[in-house]
Amino acid sequence: MSSTTAPSGLARARKGLAPGGPGGGSPNPGNQNRKSRLSAQTSRTFFWLLLPSVILLVLIHGYPLFQAGIQATHNGNLIQTGDFVGIENFQGVLASPAFWKAAQFTLLFTIVGVFGSWAVGLGLALLLRTKIPAGGTFKVLLLLPWVVPIVVSSTAWNWLVATPDSLIPSLFRNLGLGTPLFLADPTLAATTVMIFKVWVSFPFMMMMISAALASVDNTVYEAASMDGATRWQQFSQITLPLIARSTYISWILMTIFCVNDFPTIYLLTGGGPVDATTSLVVLAYRTVFQDFATGPGVAIAFLMTMTLVVISVLLYRQIRKSSVE
Amino acid sequence: MSTNPSTASSAFSRRGFLGFAAAAASVPLLAACGGGSASQGGGGAAGTIKFWDMPWATPAYNDAAKKIAEGFSGANSKASYQLIQWNNFYQTFSSAIASKTGPAVSTGGGFQAFQFEQQGQIAYADKVFEALKKNGQFDDFLPGVVEPFKTDKGYVAVPWQLDIRPLWYRKSLFEKAGVEVPKDWATLLEAGKKLKSAGAVGFATGSGAGNNIGNHLMIMMMLNNGGGVFSKEGQLDVMNDRNVEAVEFMLELVSNGIIDPAAVSYTTDNLNAQWKDGKAAYGMLTLGVPERVGDTSGDIVVASPIAGPHGDKAALIFPNNIMMYTNTPSQEASEAFVVYYLGQLKELWKQKLMNALPVFKSITEMPEFTSDPNNVKIVKEYVPIAKTFASQGTALSADLAALDGGQALNQFTQTILTGKTDAKSALQAFESGLKSILKK
Repeated sequence: MSSTTAPSGLARARKGLAPGGPGGGSPNPGNQNRKSRLSAQTSRTFFWLLLPSVILLVLIHGYPLFQAGIQATHNGNLIQTGDFVGIENFQGVLASPAFWKAAQFTLLFTIVGVFGSWAVGLGLALLLRTKIPAGGTFKVLLLLPWVVPIVVSSTAWNWLVATPDSLIPSLFRNLGLGTPLFLADPTLAATTVMIFKVWVSFPFMMMMISAALASVDNTVYEAASMDGATRWQQFSQITLPLIARSTYISWILMTIFCVNDFPTIYLLTGGGPVDATTSLVVLAYRTVFQDFATGPGVAIAFLMTMTLVVISVLLYRQIRKSSVE
Repeated sequence: MSTNPSTASSAFSRRGFLGFAAAAASVPLLAACGGGSASQGGGGAAGTIKFWDMPWATPAYNDAAKKIAEGFSGANSKASYQLIQWNNFYQTFSSAIASKTGPAVSTGGGFQAFQFEQQGQIAYADKVFEALKKNGQFDDFLPGVVEPFKTDKGYVAVPWQLDIRPLWYRKSLFEKAGVEVPKDWATLLEAGKKLKSAGAVGFATGSGAGNNIGNHLMIMMMLNNGGGVFSKEGQLDVMNDRNVEAVEFMLELVSNGIIDPAAVSYTTDNLNAQWKDGKAAYGMLTLGVPERVGDTSGDIVVASPIAGPHGDKAALIFPNNIMMYTNTPSQEASEAFVVYYLGQLKELWKQKLMNALPVFKSITEMPEFTSDPNNVKIVKEYVPIAKTFASQGTALSADLAALDGGQALNQFTQTILTGKTDAKSALQAFESGLKSILKK
């Protein structure tokens, strides 16, 4: 799509521009200089205003990060630093099958958590955009999984699925589908934890997408309809591109939420059975506080942080790309 | 409109976003190296012994313990009381001790004193025992409860209560199934099959989130067969024949459905519910099960210890202790406080607030204690055969903390409870996991 010619039809619609609205024309050079001076002044003001917060943030994050760096490269414990061991803790962690098993589960948990909650959130956001009776009430009710404390919801889920006599296994049994052990079978436990994560997270996605959809002018769809676009074409070529930035941002945030998610897993399964639901953050916790191996545990946390930063950068580039397009 | 690229770019800068992402991504790091907090100076303000205690029973216990602690007045000192939750307790203690804001005296995890002793934070209790010998209380200790705390350098802690794992059964379920209460492994297997046919769980346990009963059961069955994780010399001895035999028996119970196939995921609440709902017929649990599950009708009672195939009998016990720290306003006052507190312990059992056995004979003879026949049976039949995690050895150590709460034992237990293994493979994996923890 060219940016030098005035867009029309679906092309205008993809940019979220209403028919006949602004969208073309070149900037005035005089205005641009004045804007540039103002921008420099604004930047300086912003800098001085932000400086105290930045210093505070550096102190708050910098000190623990520095301490974590020390712990990850020493063989001590929570009280004593111990001896310097260089990258030995990282080598040990990377050579451990438990780490790779946890990494594999974390990856799967994150993929299902991010895209599962996004798909459900998107579907519900689109549904709530239509005029349905008591839409506002539904919106509030749909937020409950996100609002309710995880301790409460994990307890509720435990009672729903934990024993053969729990509600869901009983339902399966009455339907002649056997008695699935949702938390006792490794595969089912992993699946249950992921479904629980999607259930907890979809309201966040729904809100993000609802907010993005709210800013899309309805006349865009009217224009597309007049151009003969089908419902699917409107969804795939208007809705999705228009919410792309929000989608990428929500993916980044949800990726971080999923990778760092401790309570969802720990409260429901404790990482079991037989490590089937042990994610990296659970493994890091157990290594430090159950095996009392501080260095390796912090090394796991470091590796997670680095991975998350890389993923965030990659997804951010995708946001930039979607902006340019 | 937010979809305008230029507007959005200025409002949402690359550096700003990356900064946010990095900050959010660093959460696991911050969490991993974060610490607890403490509100006072180390050991307590001048003249005040800071005593940290755990929620050993209902809140009424802590109220009574607080009253006792704050009633201390000796060695020109007084004492303050602080309740520390079990959740992340080791982190709470560690960070407080590291920042010199920890307690002068505390209760805590069974092996915590040994962990902190390794780190040079424990004040030895030899003078406390000398004082107890002088006031006559030393002779009141039950046999064998003091020795486990002796190290080459001195006593690391003083026992104050015993956490034991007796076997319990529900009478009505055995009557319904028409079987006798098991006396040994063979009758346990037979009874389990009949109980299962009657719709009951023949050997209830659990190893889900936060539930360590299953872990303790595995070790208890090894001890019950004359085995154990350690040799008499204190070396790792996981693969001994008695352990293999015990694990094979556990796998037999699993394969026969005598142990609930979902037990691997059972939390403490799930397990309690199984007892309360009349599903669990037999199993190893803590003290005070009727009160704990809310059925004091007398249908749930302590069973006699069972014998292994070679005639061995054993029960698992955790001697909980009071420890003193080097960071104290006055070591003399810390010692005086511990002696004082031990002298007041009977009040806790007198008020029926404790969910553990006392370490003093005189308390086991109090009418408030003996009025519960389950207590009497445990003291009479279980205490004499009780062994610690250190078995086949006797010396407690910091390593036992990693065994008790560590990943190796939990993974081993869960592997057995899922039944998808053989005894030797499971024990080998357990041994390998323990070795990797203990060398760290």
